[in-house]
Amino acid sequence: MSELIIKNIQKFYGDHKVIDKLDLQINSGEFVTLLGPSGCGKTTLLRMIAGLETIDGGELYIGGRKANNIPAQKRRIAMVFQSYALFPHMSVKNNIVFGLRIKGMELHDMFTRLDWVLPLLGLEGLENRLPREISGGQRQRVALARALVLDPDVLLLDEPLSNLDTALREMAMEELKRVHRQVGKTIIYVTHNQAEAMTMSERIAVMNAGHLEQYDTPGALYRHPRTMFSAEFIGSPSANFIPGTIEIKNGELVLNSEIGLLEIDETRKDYLRNFSGRSVVAGIRPQDIILSSTRTHRRASDSHVTLGVELIENHGDRSFVLGRFENGLPVRFMAANDSDYRTDARVEVLIDGRCIHLFDPETRQNILEK
Amino acid sequence: MGKLDRFTPTSPLKRLVWTIGIVATAFMVMAPVYLLVKYSISDMESINTGGLPVPLWPYHPTFAVFSYLFTDPEFWQVVLNSLWIAIGTVLLSSLLGVPAAYVLARYKVPFRRAILIGIISVRLFPDISSVIPISVFFISLNLYSSFSGVILAHTLLALPYVIFIGMSAFEGIPRDIEEQAMTMGANQFQIFFRILLPIAIPGLAAAAIYTFLLSWDEFIFAHFLLDPGGKIQTLTLYLRSRITFQPPQNLLAAISVCLSLPVIIFSFAVQKYMISGMTAGSVK
Repeated sequence: MSELIIKNIQKFYGDHKVIDKLDLQINSGEFVTLLGPSGCGKTTLLRMIAGLETIDGGELYIGGRKANNIPAQKRRIAMVFQSYALFPHMSVKNNIVFGLRIKGMELHDMFTRLDWVLPLLGLEGLENRLPREISGGQRQRVALARALVLDPDVLLLDEPLSNLDTALREMAMEELKRVHRQVGKTIIYVTHNQAEAMTMSERIAVMNAGHLEQYDTPGALYRHPRTMFSAEFIGSPSANFIPGTIEIKNGELVLNSEIGLLEIDETRKDYLRNFSGRSVVAGIRPQDIILSSTRTHRRASDSHVTLGVELIENHGDRSFVLGRFENGLPVRFMAANDSDYRTDARVEVLIDGRCIHLFDPETRQNILEK
Repeated sequence: MGKLDRFTPTSPLKRLVWTIGIVATAFMVMAPVYLLVKYSISDMESINTGGLPVPLWPYHPTFAVFSYLFTDPEFWQVVLNSLWIAIGTVLLSSLLGVPAAYVLARYKVPFRRAILIGIISVRLFPDISSVIPISVFFISLNLYSSFSGVILAHTLLALPYVIFIGMSAFEGIPRDIEEQAMTMGANQFQIFFRILLPIAIPGLAAAAIYTFLLSWDEFIFAHFLLDPGGKIQTLTLYLRSRITFQPPQNLLAAISVCLSLPVIIFSFAVQKYMISGMTAGSVK
C-alpha cells in the first residue's frame, strides 16, 4: 500500500548524468538504506523521491500512484534533513505540529498526535523550548517527531545521525530501529556510513557513480558481494584485492595469484573449470585472513601465505593489522589479541578458499554470484 | 557571530598614542552634541554675553524654549507630518523592498546584476544632483507639495538599503528550512509568511528603523518637493525656516535636540540588530 517503485529513473545536471537508469523497489513497511560514497547520487535520489528535484526520465510510484509530477507538498512523504532544518523561531511543539496546521487539522486531533509522538521520542517537557535551547540529540529527535506526526506513506531520512557524536549516534540508531518497529513505516535512509546501514536496514541499496551496484540484505551483501565496489564498501575494514589467474596445476584447479598459489574450494571447482586461464581479482575480507598459529585443524581449502607485519591497531578484543605480502602487496587483516605477533615480525596466515570472492577485472562483477 | 576581535596595545608609548587618539576622536564627536544640548537649555544672557566669552555651562539653565516649542501648535503639526512621512516611507519601502529582496536572494532572476546595480544607482549620485530631475518628474505627476510625493522620494532613497539588508537576511536562512516546510505541505506563501519572514525579522527591522531615521531627518528632497509657504512642512524644514537674520540659537538648538532624539534612541536600541542584520548570511 505504501510501497515505492523506481523504474529506470534518470537525473541530469546539464550533460552530467547524476542518476543513470536506476531501478529500485521498496516494500511497504521496509527499512531500506541508500548507501554510497559522497557524490554517488544517493541524496539526489532521495530528493527526487521527496519531490525536491525534478525527475528527468523514468517513473516513480509512491503507494501505487505515479508521483513524477506530484509536487513535494502533496506526495505524502516526510523528510528529515541532515541539518534537521528546525524552524528556529518556533517552539518544539510548534515545530512538530507545523505540518498538521498547514493541512488544517482540528486542534483536538493535533494534540492527540502530539501526545502520541512526544513520549515516543522522549520529548516530554521540552514542548515550549526553542530549537537553540535543546541539545543536538534532542534536535534530531524533534526532527524525527516532526516527520512522524505527518503520518507519511514514506519517511525519508537524509544522513540524520551524521551530526551526532558516536555515543549519541549509537543511541539514536537503536531508537530509530525501535521507532520503525513501532510505527511500521516505509523508511528510506541515506548514509555513507556502512556500519549504520548494516545495523539498521532490512535491505541496502549500494550506489556508486549514479547507478545501483547491489540491492540486498545486509547479510547477503557481506557474504555475497556482487561487485568489487560492494566488497570494498561493505565490511570494515574493506576487503583486500589480489590479482591472479585461474589455472590447472598438476591436474588441480588453483588460483595462481600475485601472492602465490591459493586453493580453490571443492564445491566451486566444477563451475570455475570454465574460467580456466582467465584473469581474476580475488577479494578477501580482513576477517577471513587468519593467523596459522591460531588454527588447530586444517582444511583442504586452506592456503598458507607469509607476510610481514607493519602496523598494529589495537581494538581491545582484537587488532587490525596492516602488513605486506612477500611480493610487496599490502594486506589488511584482523587478529585476536592473545595470539603471537608484533610489528616487523613475519607471520604465516591462512586463507580459506571458501571465503575468497572472485571478480572479473574488466566488468568488476563477481563471477561466482550470478 | 561573536564579539569583534579586540586587541590591546602592549607598549606604554603605543598605549599613550592610542589613548590620545581615542580621546581626541571622542571629543570631536561629542563636542557638537554638547554644544547643541547646552544651547537648547541656555538663557539669552548666556548667549548674548555682550563681548564676554560664552560660558561652558549656561548661567541659568532653563527649559523655557522647550516649553515654548511644546506649546506651539505649528511645532506639533510638523512633528506629526514628519512622523507620517517617516511611517509611510517605512511601510511603502518594506512593502516594495522585502518581496524584492526575497526574490533577488532566492530565485534565478534574469539580469540580476544589472538590477542590483540599478537599485543602488540612486545612491551613487549626491542627493542634491538627483533631486532636480526627480522633483521635475514628480511635479509633472502632480505630486508637488503632497505627502505622497515626499513619501515616494524617501522610499526611493530607502529602497536600496531595504533590499540589500533584506537580501542578506534572506540569504542567511538555509535552503533546507524552506524545503523542509515544502515537504510538510506548505505552499510558497505559507513558507514566506510563516517561516522566512519571521526568521528574517531582525534584519528587516534594522532596515525599517534605518529607513525611518533616513526619512525623519531628510532635508533636500523635502525642501524641493514641498512648497515653502504651503501647509505641509516637515521638522527639518521647520528648523530651516527658523534660521532668520538673527537666529535664536537656543530655539534652533532645541528643535535640533527634538530632531536628534529619536535618532539617538533608535540607534542605541537597535545597534545589535543593525550589525547582525547587515552581516546575516556572511557568517554561518
